[in-house]
Formats: sequence, C-alpha cells, structure tokens
Amino acid sequence: MVTKSLELPTFEELTVEEVPISSPGLRAASNHFGKYCLEVNDEFMMCKIETDDPRKCINEGKAVTNCALEFFRKLKVNCYDEFQIYSNCIDKSSTRLDFEPCRKTQAVYDKCVFEKMGIERPEHGFFCKARVYTGNRPKPPPAEPQVFSDLPVGLKDFNEEERPPAKYGQRNWFIK
Amino acid sequence: MAATAESVKQDMPPKGGYRKINFARVFPKPFASSRALVGTYMVCTGVGWYLYLLNDRQIDNYQIESRNAIIAISPLLDAEADREYLKQLRRNRDAEEKLMKNVKGWETGTLYGEPIYKTVDSNKLIEPGLNEYYVHAPPKTLLDRAYWHKYL
Repeated sequence: MVTKSLELPTFEELTVEEVPISSPGLRAASNHFGKYCLEVNDEFMMCKIETDDPRKCINEGKAVTNCALEFFRKLKVNCYDEFQIYSNCIDKSSTRLDFEPCRKTQAVYDKCVFEKMGIERPEHGFFCKARVYTGNRPKPPPAEPQVFSDLPVGLKDFNEEERPPAKYGQRNWFIK
Repeated sequence: MAATAESVKQDMPPKGGYRKINFARVFPKPFASSRALVGTYMVCTGVGWYLYLLNDRQIDNYQIESRNAIIAISPLLDAEADREYLKQLRRNRDAEEKLMKNVKGWETGTLYGEPIYKTVDSNKLIEPGLNEYYVHAPPKTLLDRAYWHKYL
C-alpha cells in the first residue's frame, strides 16, 4: 500500500457534489454534455494523459463535475420533460441502451435543447474523431533518458595492476 | 391328329417390322437456359452483397454512436472515479496505520522500513494491485471487481 511520504489529498479536498444521474440519463445527455463542456473535458483528459497521476488533475476534475452539474441544472430548468421521456425510452427500449429505437423522442429532445439552450447536437461520431487540443496547458518536457553508473552499487572499482593476488590460487591467463 | 400346314399359324413379326428399340439418352427439359441460370445467380449474389454492405454500415454507425456517447461522458466518470480512488487509498493507509500501530518498527506501506521500490521517488504514485487495494475489504468486494464479467 502507499507509504506515509506519498502526498495524498485530504477528504475535504476530494469531496465535491457529484452528479446524481443514472446511466440512461447520462447516455441520453451525452452528446450535448460533451459539446457544452468541451474545453473543460479536454483540459481534464489532457491533464490525465500527460501527468499520468490522478492527484495532479483534481482541480480539472472538479471543473468537469462542476460543468456537468451546471449543464444538468440548465437542462432541468429548460427541457425536463423531454429529457425524461428520452432517457426513459433509452432505458426501456433495449437491453443495451441503444439509441436506435428512440429517434422520435430524440428529435423532440434535440429541438428543445437547441431552442432553449442553444446547443446543437454534434455531428455523427464527433467525439470519436481526433481533435486538436487548443487549451493553454504547457507541453510537458520530454522524459530525460535514464543515466546509470558503470558499476553496480557496492562493487569496488580498481585497476588491473592493483588486483590483489588470489587468496587460494588459480589465477591463470584464461581464468582471471 | 397330324397338324396340317393350314391349321398351324406361325408367329411372325408385324407388318413393317417391329418398332425400333429406343436406346437414345433422354435429357430432361431444361428449367432455364444456362445463361439465364448463371445470370440469376450473379444478380442474386450481387443484391445479397449489397444488402449485407448496407446492414454492415448501419451496424457500424450504431456502434460509433454508442462509442461516441461513452467517450463524451468519460471525463465526467473518470473525474468522479479518480476522486473516489484517491479517497480509498487514504482510507487504506489509515486502516493499515491503525491496524499495525502496536507492531514495533512497522512503517506503513513498507516492510519494517524497507520500501517496495528503492530507486523510485517516494512521492510517485504507483497504483497498487487489486489484491492490495481490497486488502481491508470483505473478500466479496474483490471477487465482484475481479470477476464482474461473470455476472453478465
């Protein structure tokens, strides 16, 4: 397990209000959420990949959760019924939360979100495509090559001339 | 009772001879010409391929749409999961400290002061394995996590 010298954030730093939404709801809102919080999400994922350390991306992660809460609160104010019907349809139409059986409710939901919140549904497969990161994160320096000393630790380095005579014989030209 | 020449009637072939024995090979009447058959086959196969292609593209699009949704919400899920992970690491460390406080010379996260990794910076987070992560949890927690796919 981790040692005491490892810096871990405290519980207070890690406790924020989480998003209390189930899988069908998240899936129903995924496209618009991704569009609404695009920069924040990119920042967080970039931090996660570049630092490879969850401790260094807590603030970015909090920003993501905060943005999600903001988005879902707006959604609740503006398009509550449409969202509920759509997510309910996704939940109950198939075993794998497919989008295909819910095109009609999706159209109603999309229209509402576009008219009241101004978010257009991104094109098909938008989040699967590679995007160029446009944030302000500085590029991390390349990893320095590892430098090893010539000898293993604890092995004495001496010249050929300084070699002591063999204690129990047998030091020939072919066995040294 | 000698048979006279008039009373005996010789069994003779019919006039004009017997009809010819039919030994020629008889072909069945063809259903369609060979060109028509091959043509029909090619057309059916072509249409089948085309329909397969359409279906394949449709399935690809469904999968892309599904993956799209998962990728879009993954930052949100990851952010929450990372916070919970760090909390659990702290919980584990506190539990070990409490458990081993009466053992002389024990240092948390090491074997009596000897660390797992000597050459690594002590502030680098090396994620513990599953057995280590769930060491203070009931066994079922580890089994549920390790064999989650068996419940599907």
